[in-house]
Amino acid sequence: MKRAAMLSLALLAGGCASMQKERGHQEVAALVEARTGLKTRWDQGTPEDAEVSRHLDTLLGEPLTSDRAVEVALLNNPALQQTYEELGVSQADMVQAGLLSNPVLSGSVGVPIGNLGVTEHEFSLVQEFVDIFTLPLRKRVAKEQFIADTLRVAHEALSTAAEVRKAFREFQARRQLVELRREVLLAAEVSAEFAARQREAGNITELELATEQATAEQSRLDLSQEELTLVEDREHLNRLMGLWGPRIQWTLSESLPELPAKEAPLEHLETTAIKQRLDIDAARKQASLMWNALELAKTTRWFGRVEVGVHTHRDSDGPRLFGPTLSLELPIFDQRQGLIGKLEAQYRQSERRLTELSVNARSEVRAARARLQSLRMQAEHYRTTVLPLRDKVIAQSQLQYNAMQIGLTPLLTAKKEQVESYRGYLETVRDYWMARAELEQLLGGRLPGSTEPPPSPAPPPAPAAPEHSHEHSHP
Amino acid sequence: MREPTDPAEPLQASDAVASIDPSATSEAVPVVEAAAPQGFGALTRRGILSTAGAALAGGALLLRGARAEAQPASPSRPEAPKRASYAGAPPGMPHRDYQPVVVPNGTTLPWKLVDGVKVFHLVAEEVEHEFAPGLKALCWGYNGQVHGPTIEVVEGDRVRFYVTNRLSAPTTVHWHGILLPSGMDGVGGLNQKPIDPGETFRYEFTFRQSGMGMYHSHHDEMTQIAMGMVGLIVIHPRHPTGPKVDKDFALMLHEWRIDAGTRRPNPNEMTDFNMLTLNAKAFPATAPLVVRKGERVRIRLGNLGPMDHHPIHLHGYHFRVTETDAGRIPESAQWPETTVLVPVGSTRTVEFVADVPGDWAMHCHMTHHVMNQMGHAFPNVIGMKPGGLDAKVRKLLPGYMTMGQAGMGDMGEMGMPVPENSIPMSGGEGKHGYITMGGMFTVLKVREHTNGQEDPGWYENPPGTQATTATAAELQRDGIEVPKPS
Repeated sequence: MKRAAMLSLALLAGGCASMQKERGHQEVAALVEARTGLKTRWDQGTPEDAEVSRHLDTLLGEPLTSDRAVEVALLNNPALQQTYEELGVSQADMVQAGLLSNPVLSGSVGVPIGNLGVTEHEFSLVQEFVDIFTLPLRKRVAKEQFIADTLRVAHEALSTAAEVRKAFREFQARRQLVELRREVLLAAEVSAEFAARQREAGNITELELATEQATAEQSRLDLSQEELTLVEDREHLNRLMGLWGPRIQWTLSESLPELPAKEAPLEHLETTAIKQRLDIDAARKQASLMWNALELAKTTRWFGRVEVGVHTHRDSDGPRLFGPTLSLELPIFDQRQGLIGKLEAQYRQSERRLTELSVNARSEVRAARARLQSLRMQAEHYRTTVLPLRDKVIAQSQLQYNAMQIGLTPLLTAKKEQVESYRGYLETVRDYWMARAELEQLLGGRLPGSTEPPPSPAPPPAPAAPEHSHEHSHP
Repeated sequence: MREPTDPAEPLQASDAVASIDPSATSEAVPVVEAAAPQGFGALTRRGILSTAGAALAGGALLLRGARAEAQPASPSRPEAPKRASYAGAPPGMPHRDYQPVVVPNGTTLPWKLVDGVKVFHLVAEEVEHEFAPGLKALCWGYNGQVHGPTIEVVEGDRVRFYVTNRLSAPTTVHWHGILLPSGMDGVGGLNQKPIDPGETFRYEFTFRQSGMGMYHSHHDEMTQIAMGMVGLIVIHPRHPTGPKVDKDFALMLHEWRIDAGTRRPNPNEMTDFNMLTLNAKAFPATAPLVVRKGERVRIRLGNLGPMDHHPIHLHGYHFRVTETDAGRIPESAQWPETTVLVPVGSTRTVEFVADVPGDWAMHCHMTHHVMNQMGHAFPNVIGMKPGGLDAKVRKLLPGYMTMGQAGMGDMGEMGMPVPENSIPMSGGEGKHGYITMGGMFTVLKVREHTNGQEDPGWYENPPGTQATTATAAELQRDGIEVPKPS
């Protein structure tokens, strides 16, 4: 009896696994923080979560930066929160896997029909026995599944962070592109006005005037299109940050940053990606857990159901019987061939998936690195060569105008071309930062030296006119 | 050699020369015009002295002279009877046989006498030339000059030109309007092999006419003339007719395309020339023609510009056109003019007595030819009201200011930065303000006293001879009512 009690206790203890609310997300948060330096939170409606909500308001109260936008998204992106819930599901599976099947208490009472005999009682307590041997292995498989899920969720968080960074750069650049588009419009408007005045003086044809005016109106449409894109870019960012209501009033003060002075070393990036990418890690874990599941199935293939128990029986003639029971399934027909086959296939599948992911990761890293280098080269070329040339074209056009060699229209055309070049430069810098976010995402972490460079805008082509100098002074 | 077929026909001088001087056989007939009003034998004392000198110089020349005297006019030269030939005459000497020309902004080509032949040396080469302060360009010229130096000879001079090519392209020299043997005419491919870079050719002939000729490249003319390879040839008559002149100016007209901010003429230009020059200078760099009051003045004008004729107008005088490029016009046919059209490829000579002192403008009357580097694409903004446009443009282009609503006149004065190596499209300072002309513009300065060609400065008009603002009293006196501006 004493031994039986001990056994039940052990069984109970083994099954005494419970859900922990923050379990899993802590790991996710740690992984994300290690890679982005930013905290993430699973909003479960606790008082701390209210604190987080206030923190969000603080973050959004100040002009947004790339890092802040990522932080807001990590705390508030609804898709991410949805993903965090998967951790609960996964954890539940893990808890479930750690539970022993419950002992089965069965009893029967036999009441004699007629006058002969006495009432018989029979009770048994039976426990599925094989669980005790397979439980650790099952727990391991479930735990690995849980870890894999955690990694996957953390990877999702990092992807969201990268997407936010890209959307942020897109929006940041768009504001400046809109500004430049306004300059193009101004140039076209001035050109048209000049033509109108010439026409008024009787010096040009209706045709020439209409041509100038048509150009100006086209510029107006171009600006309107770009302004719409600006709204769309902003809304993309709002979606990623999970914002609505008054929180969408956030502002942006910085212009697109200059390129970092030095490119981070771009060697060994493939190895780094393979080492630190969480989705690869998850796939690796997935493969490993499939292996363990397969092992489990193989080790238990000859085990049928083993049920061990005690039963007590009171016989009709009086004596009370007590003794163990054993019920053994004989694996004659079903030796889990089906399950093993399936697991083998799934294992190979997960191995292949890991290979695919790794091969793709390496290639994507190489492509992203090439893109980053090329965009840096292009941006540098713009900055050191094309833009100075455009400036020179303006300066020389102005001189030619002063010498009455050319008129205002070609001067304004030169201005428009200069602005278009600045737009090209801005787009290249934007693409550079987007490529950098992409590369970081592909590496599963930040590139060395990826702290925000000093916010310095693309050199604005707006003239430093002496008569405008008062605009730069502070009251 | 042409053999005389008829013993009755007089021998040509060339035949005689050929028999004595084989080196001269390449030269064609120095046609003799014995029937001219002044036959060789009936010459002045100077001519006789020359003949004596020639006789001393050698039998060939003597023979040539003697033959010349004996020859009738060549029927193949219709103009021949009008003029005498002095082939074989002794070389004309400056201040003895002729009054040297003044070449404003230019020079005359030096020569030396070798065995009675005037020997010149022309070097065709690239030259950095200043058109006016602020504008230099790499042109092609001769002897370090653009245009080439003026060649000055006397009718009858035997000349030998060595031409060295220091250009990167083959060239030739054509003696424009000069009567000479075909092989000396200098048309590349036609009369001679082009002179390759590094080569030196020899041209040799005798000037048998007087007047003004020119010289220029006749190989890849479009390029080489547009690049400046032209020059004047002044041939003084052995025996001048008409009144003696005191000042004899020689001017070459030319046109170029040099875009503001460039440093080489564009020979591909066909119509839009933007540098119009007198002796390769544009006003305000043109040197004035300085004359003492009462002097008889001759101005010789040659035009080897690529495309345009130039009506040259002189203020203050009526002049007579006394010569074309084929020689002197008989007095009875001389026209009184104030403007003489000098067509491309022609020369015209005018004469007048400078009896009224003052600063007198002389210029091409094509208005665009008294402009410098004007922008032909500059929009027409005359009468345009800029309104608030300037402020708007300055948002984009800080240095902007609307120009030209009242024309181009003020442009040179504004002092705005312009492209390097360019000059304002018009003008220079005058005594009474800004002169809104450039290009083919110069000033004839007639003074009581002069100091050679030294610029005497601006003319001081005597009191009462100067246009000034009308006073209110004058207007009232004469009943002039000035309409108020609307």
